[in-house]
Amino acid sequence: MDRETLRKLEMLNQLSLTDEQKDEVTAFFAKRDAELEIINRIDTENVERMVHVMPIMTVVREDTVNQPFTREALQQGAPETDEGYWCVPRVME
Amino acid sequence: MKYETVIGLEVHVELATNSKIFCSCSAHSYGADPNEHVCPACCGMPGMLPVVNKRVVDFGMKAGLMLNCDINRTTTFDKKSYYYPDLPAAYQTTQWFAPVAVNGTVEIETSNGRKSVRIKQIHMEEDAGKLVHDIREDTTHVDFNRTSVPLIEIVSQPDLSSAEEVEAYLERLKNLLRYAKVAECEMAHGTMRCDVNLSVRPEGTDILGVRTEMKNMNSIEAIKRAIEYEVARHIDAIENGTEVLVQETRRWDDIKGKSYAMRTKETAGDYRYFPDPNVMPVVIDDEWFNAIKETLPEFPEVKRARYAEEFGLSEYDADQLSKSIALCECFEGAVSVCKNAKDAANWMISEVMSILNARKMTYDMLNIDGKALGEIILLVSEGKVGRANGKKILAAMFDDETIEPAKYAEENGLVMSNDTGLIEATAKAAVAADPKAVSDFKGGKEKALMSLFGRCMKELKGNCDPQVLRKILIDEINKQ
Amino acid sequence: MKIYNAKNEAASGKLVVADDMLLTKDMPTTAGSKMLEGYMSLFDAEALTRLYAAGYGLCGKASVGEFAIDLVGETAFDGENERDGKLVYAPAESIKNGEAIAAVCLDVNGSVRRGAAQSGLVSIKPTYGTVSRYGTIPVACSGETVSVLAANAKDCREILDVISGHDDKDGTSLSDDLCKKLKKDADRAEIKKVAFFKEMTDGLDEAVIDKMNAFRAKLSENGIEVCEIEDGVIAASRVAWNILMSAELCNNVSRYDGVKYGYRTENFNNLDTLYTNSRTEAFGDLLKTAILFGSETLSTDNYMKVYDKALRTRRVIADAFSKIFEEYDAVLLPACSKMAYTPSDVKEDKYISYHENFYTAPASITGLPAVVAEGVQLVGRAFSENALLDLIEKEEK
Repeated sequence: MDRETLRKLEMLNQLSLTDEQKDEVTAFFAKRDAELEIINRIDTENVERMVHVMPIMTVVREDTVNQPFTREALQQGAPETDEGYWCVPRVME
Repeated sequence: MKYETVIGLEVHVELATNSKIFCSCSAHSYGADPNEHVCPACCGMPGMLPVVNKRVVDFGMKAGLMLNCDINRTTTFDKKSYYYPDLPAAYQTTQWFAPVAVNGTVEIETSNGRKSVRIKQIHMEEDAGKLVHDIREDTTHVDFNRTSVPLIEIVSQPDLSSAEEVEAYLERLKNLLRYAKVAECEMAHGTMRCDVNLSVRPEGTDILGVRTEMKNMNSIEAIKRAIEYEVARHIDAIENGTEVLVQETRRWDDIKGKSYAMRTKETAGDYRYFPDPNVMPVVIDDEWFNAIKETLPEFPEVKRARYAEEFGLSEYDADQLSKSIALCECFEGAVSVCKNAKDAANWMISEVMSILNARKMTYDMLNIDGKALGEIILLVSEGKVGRANGKKILAAMFDDETIEPAKYAEENGLVMSNDTGLIEATAKAAVAADPKAVSDFKGGKEKALMSLFGRCMKELKGNCDPQVLRKILIDEINKQ
Repeated sequence: MKIYNAKNEAASGKLVVADDMLLTKDMPTTAGSKMLEGYMSLFDAEALTRLYAAGYGLCGKASVGEFAIDLVGETAFDGENERDGKLVYAPAESIKNGEAIAAVCLDVNGSVRRGAAQSGLVSIKPTYGTVSRYGTIPVACSGETVSVLAANAKDCREILDVISGHDDKDGTSLSDDLCKKLKKDADRAEIKKVAFFKEMTDGLDEAVIDKMNAFRAKLSENGIEVCEIEDGVIAASRVAWNILMSAELCNNVSRYDGVKYGYRTENFNNLDTLYTNSRTEAFGDLLKTAILFGSETLSTDNYMKVYDKALRTRRVIADAFSKIFEEYDAVLLPACSKMAYTPSDVKEDKYISYHENFYTAPASITGLPAVVAEGVQLVGRAFSENALLDLIEKEEK
């Protein structure tokens, strides 16, 4: 994990690390890379990926409307709202 | 050098469901107050889990079948991550690995003839919210009503080569999806949106040109303008080196008539797709699949052919009616009551469609019950109501869908009179009041009869058989 | 540790404690993160709703480590989790001091099981999909499970019976019919043969070895056969689980951005600095590293060789367990490498929970049920939680 890759990774995840944290994270990544060897030794050729541990399919719901929550309740803990909207600093499109 | 254009389209279509794709909020965001149709799930709060709306899958499948796709009988959902204020959970649930439909075709017809456009895939996903920039200068306002409203994205292969073909393709898509009643497809409402991937290359080669993606076109006309602009820009860059083409996303400004490179983050496009652990695979069994197949409508051309063959309609009439499923349904409803297809087609085209045009309504906005129209046609053909009054009833029905034609005619004095005494008295009065017309008629001016006829009809409020009136009038004139 | 005041009266007079990963309407839910300081949910976790309906009350919320991925809660932003130079697991405390008969906790990365082992309590992590996750803070959704911690197996079972069962608000919740079908004879079948791996007992503290030996002896005394077997892949669970857990975590915590609710930085001048500073200021070091690691496993370059590999490895591990369960009824594992953690353990290695989950990852990644008692862990067949609890109850006598 070089600094440039790490910088992009921070940006992608909206985080900003101190230099000390960067060193720690770099060391963490190095260990994880080395550990990959442990699963790379396992033969997964012709093995299907397992996303869900239970062999079930989705149970769909009927297309009905149910809205028990009010806007006021949803926005109670909001840092900033205005006229029923959540607010962010102006974004340019 | 001559160039050819290579265009592929990504069309987003909002599905016409009642509720959102993964939560039970209303999906009708258009025109609602901000954040009225929102719950903890669709405003990005933790703890609620996605449960798939069956109708979204129904509609995804239907759209796939309308576009001749293969349906993935096990279809799965994946997460796509990025930060933007209109995406409250910072991920969109979409289909990346196993979309609901793949490998389809859409047939189009242009001045260059027929063409088959290949569909790469159709996937189901959730829409993003809306950002409002014009309330306060320093602030963007965020509305999550549209968040998680179900969409399908229809991805074509790069088989289109002109603005005209793109228009034909979009019109065809709209028509097919409206036929299947899965979507409104109204660009002005944002229920159909289209991104254009475009490149140019020397004609007859298979060189891959630099591809740009254009967004923000709000009408088919704007899409055509954007394509023409972009093609010219590409050719200019290639021929004259005016600029270096780069693969990028561009925003179309329809007022300025130009496209601009969108400012993007360095990390844009790194979406980190992965299978959604909270949504189990959707397995479409035979029962479900067949139930959906049974609800598919006839394709427009099948209807057109059937109208010509079964009902003996002219090619023009059949073509007009099959333009919209709403017209077809109204027509078929009318025929089922009045049992006269030609009459019904005539009423549809000369009356219903002209009212729609006059009211600036699209064909799909037609709200007239076909059976009621059939009743009007019957009333007129049986001589119970005059044709002009039949039209009046029809017009009234546009404003009030609950009107029952016979009852309405009764209540509003639109029923044809059988009272020959009244007609004779009216004719007599008209003849007495206009001796000039009488003498003109007698002098051979056929037209003069029309003014007398009109006067009588007006007096009788149209409730009179024109043939009967005509005969009585002539009799009266001859008595003079 | 932080325990909020109870508001719920219990019809039965019985109170439970919830860890701070379960959403509550009447008290804040923070997931141990400054990001959610004071966050009030609009709804209760389904597990709690069921407990209330059955006449149980909530005595309060016990603090958890930030998004429950640490050892036993030491990364909680507002917590005191040390006593006498040792780390303490908050949910266990309220049981030990008699405030609650049980704790309902989200087992994300094994802290419930480590906490149970170190505090001498019993915990049951049921089969994935049998208890609704509706109303839990999502972290590693493909493996995390609402679990129960109590003084003994009987109390665990009592609470588990209340919170189990299908919930149509959770798309991964198993239908009752399917549960019945999948359960077949796993449930209530007596445990007669237990396997353990030499590979997974290396490097343990003396105290843990003693616990393992004592438990094995007890099993033998009760006529249960204990056999050492070879393992090729289960020991790799940790590596695969760390990948899956971190990737899902990265995605799940990306929603916390200072816009809709929760912590917002005061130091911003545009959207980007609002996002970045809010997250940077509110999240702790372990979480930040987990986010970055998870993100990297999903990047275009790594997806196939890291994330997809981990998903395939998960199946190999699940198959390995199935193979073992053809002959054995449960697998005996430690729950932790030592019987008490000290603050210096964490100071020396901030990321210690990424190693220490060596023992808990096998049941996390496969969704298999795991019971912890007498300082050790037994992993059973899917749906065998009752059989596991039966065994512990027998041992307790």
